[in-house]
Amino acid sequence: MKLEEMKIAWEEMSADIGRQKKITDSLIIKMTQINYRNKTLKIAVPETIGSFGCMAMALYIAIHFQELHTWYLQGCGLITLITLVLLPIISFRSIYVITAVQVEGNKYKESLLQYANGKKKFVALQKMNFYLGAILLVVILPVTGQLIGGKDVFKQHWIWLWFSTSFIFFYILAGRIFRKYVNIITEAQTILRELEE
Amino acid sequence: MQNKNEFIRVVQENEGLIYKVAKLYTDSREDEQDLYQEIIYQLWKSFDGFRNESKISTWMYRIALNTSIVHLNRERRKGKYVPIDEMPAPPSDNGNTLKAERIEALYAHIKNLNTVEKGIVLLYLEGKSYEEIAGITGFSVSNVGTRLGRIKQKLSSQIKK
Repeated sequence: MKLEEMKIAWEEMSADIGRQKKITDSLIIKMTQINYRNKTLKIAVPETIGSFGCMAMALYIAIHFQELHTWYLQGCGLITLITLVLLPIISFRSIYVITAVQVEGNKYKESLLQYANGKKKFVALQKMNFYLGAILLVVILPVTGQLIGGKDVFKQHWIWLWFSTSFIFFYILAGRIFRKYVNIITEAQTILRELEE
Repeated sequence: MQNKNEFIRVVQENEGLIYKVAKLYTDSREDEQDLYQEIIYQLWKSFDGFRNESKISTWMYRIALNTSIVHLNRERRKGKYVPIDEMPAPPSDNGNTLKAERIEALYAHIKNLNTVEKGIVLLYLEGKSYEEIAGITGFSVSNVGTRLGRIKQKLSSQIKK
């Protein structure tokens, strides 16, 4: 189909659509109201729940920090605390960058630029969160082992089994997740290239 | 909103515009209905800010196209919308199979274009001048011309394949 033929077909279709007005007043109002409730009440629910979990855990560790007697447990405690604070911040930041396209006021080109750059930032932040998650998996066990179980897990033989299993788990997971990120980056770069053409 | 009736009138008058944009940027009926409703929601949100500095259709195209870009991310967190069975049927479903097939073929051709081209070709098919397309998209008038030339070539090569 040539562009000129497409235009004729498009005009015919537009005329058909014009003759078939179907949307009612009440349906328009319902759409705006349902969406409004959705936007105001359901923004970032998983991230909010996760953040409360992280903050509660961070608070618990901070309160009981003096129970970590050795330098290595204190080190693990400190890293756990920092990670638990950073994880929600990065999660919310990544939501922000992915939804930062301004619907009102922007022109199409500007929105596409924001969208593509947002995607690239999103991937960078998600990668950062992934690495932090890996670090947390390693450091949280000795901390909780001491604070909840009263044991220095570094003196347990199975700790190395835990660490090596975690490493394998994260290695496999990283392969899968990063492949998805490559696709997102490729899409973003394609749009940026299209804009420059 | 003070201008509720005015907003309803504007949406009803330009219902086709919203429908056509929603169909172009989605691949399933469900997704199309979600985007359709999202565009109406974004129009409603921005309606008070519309200052009559541009034509109402120009403002609507901008909001609709920008919402479609945001919607490209939507697979991650789907919202809650009016159920699909309460929605009006798409205007192309009027029992004329041949016409419906032609429209599907038309959309299939446009969907093969990249995201930038999709927006430009939509506005061209809607009868917008190069100046108007440039005003809505933010590309220069000459760039719009160059891109439409490339789109014509792409469509010709699609036919040859």
